[in-house]
Amino acid sequence: MKVIRGTIVSEGEGGVYGERMLKGCRVWDPHRSKLPAAIHNGAPLDLSSDMRVLYLGAANGTTVSHVADYVETVYAVEFAPRPMQDLIEVARRRPNIVPIMGDANRPEVYGCFVEEVDMIYQDVAQPNQADILRKNLPFLKKGGLAVLMLKARSVDVRRPSEEIAEETRTLLREIGLTITWSGTLEPFHKDHTCMLCIKEE
Amino acid sequence: MRSYWFGDIDDGVCTPAQGDEDRILERCDTIRGKVDTGFVPVSVKEACDCGFFADREEYLAKLRDVTIRDARRKIVAAFSEGDAELIQMVRMLDEIDEVVNLLTEKAVEWYLVKNPGFSRKYKSMSAKRMVGVMKKEKGPLGRICAEIDALSEHRVILMRDVSKRTDALMPNCSTLVGGLVAARLMERAGGLSVLAGMPASTIQVLGAEGALFSHLRAGSPPPKHGIIFQHRRVHNAPRNVRGKVSRAVAGKLAIAAKIDYYRGEADLAFLERAQDRIDAVGEKE
Repeated sequence: MKVIRGTIVSEGEGGVYGERMLKGCRVWDPHRSKLPAAIHNGAPLDLSSDMRVLYLGAANGTTVSHVADYVETVYAVEFAPRPMQDLIEVARRRPNIVPIMGDANRPEVYGCFVEEVDMIYQDVAQPNQADILRKNLPFLKKGGLAVLMLKARSVDVRRPSEEIAEETRTLLREIGLTITWSGTLEPFHKDHTCMLCIKEE
Repeated sequence: MRSYWFGDIDDGVCTPAQGDEDRILERCDTIRGKVDTGFVPVSVKEACDCGFFADREEYLAKLRDVTIRDARRKIVAAFSEGDAELIQMVRMLDEIDEVVNLLTEKAVEWYLVKNPGFSRKYKSMSAKRMVGVMKKEKGPLGRICAEIDALSEHRVILMRDVSKRTDALMPNCSTLVGGLVAARLMERAGGLSVLAGMPASTIQVLGAEGALFSHLRAGSPPPKHGIIFQHRRVHNAPRNVRGKVSRAVAGKLAIAAKIDYYRGEADLAFLERAQDRIDAVGEKE
């Protein structure tokens, strides 16, 4: 990842969402986006220019636009119509984003569009977050990386987030993933845990 | 055989999808291959080897054409359901309410400074009458109050529009609790289809999320009512039966929303029974 003076940046055309620029690079604010927050907290995550990424929960395309600056191709899945309008606009300016309107819970609907990817980024905040990742694993190549941004409050508003994280880690192991790193996104995002997993050969 | 957006591949035999983009999209809608362990994702190399595309760049450009077209089509479909605009109207209405109140409050403070001898006490000056008085002031305060007054008039017109639309879109809910309350419930749910899928207990506390989650988290008393409190039969009910009335109203609303969404017309027999039931609950001690 490219870092200027302690700030994670990405190289690309600016002005997607009014982000600050630093020496011609787009500042990737960990307070706004979960991915740089995880990296700030020590997640050993590197996006490289030959990667293909399946991004679940693309929303307005702010994080997607930064990911697209680093990697070869992003398949960005989003379900809600209002954010999709923005995502299409972002994708129009960035030819390596493939915007897909579909429900991440039903990969069979968009399965005909997606190729094998090196990384799945799961950021759909739903009660069955780990299960959504499981359903999309067939798109991930063997040895590929799966990133889950777990929002504890979407799973259960009452239980402590560490308990939910532990439960999710068990779930991920059960579906055959090896967790290589797990950590919270404090102080940038409350009640979030990031998990990096490898799909075994 | 494996089916992809660009065509079928069967043991090395490639059959391209026929027709223009719209036809390709129609075909994509029918592809529902299970995504499980046996699933083979698109291979761009394979697609190029089949001769469908010259290279990866061309493949991606065509794919993007198709998926963007698909997304646009789905957005149009989602927004043309009739409730999308109503949601925005309700949000605007509630926002205007807030703004008018805030502005009036500030204007009154301003007026009091200009007229040190004036006080609202004992004069039963409603906010609306206050604006009327302040409008006659000379200078900037008067001009601003004229604007506040105009905004309030827009609010009244918008309110009528919302009511009228809700009557048409959700006749049963609207008859039970009035157009405005029905529209607010629909707005909070996020759409008529979502509201129709909600259980009565959720509809009962829609709009009381703060109280509900503090109940779940800290064990404070559960909320008896959310938006439906605005309905006169709930807030006029004696305190001891209010919870009961709101439960009955919510129960009937859950049914009404389902009739509205799936049938789309007023069911007079149902409405009569529902009204009787709600009235009966309210009367009981």
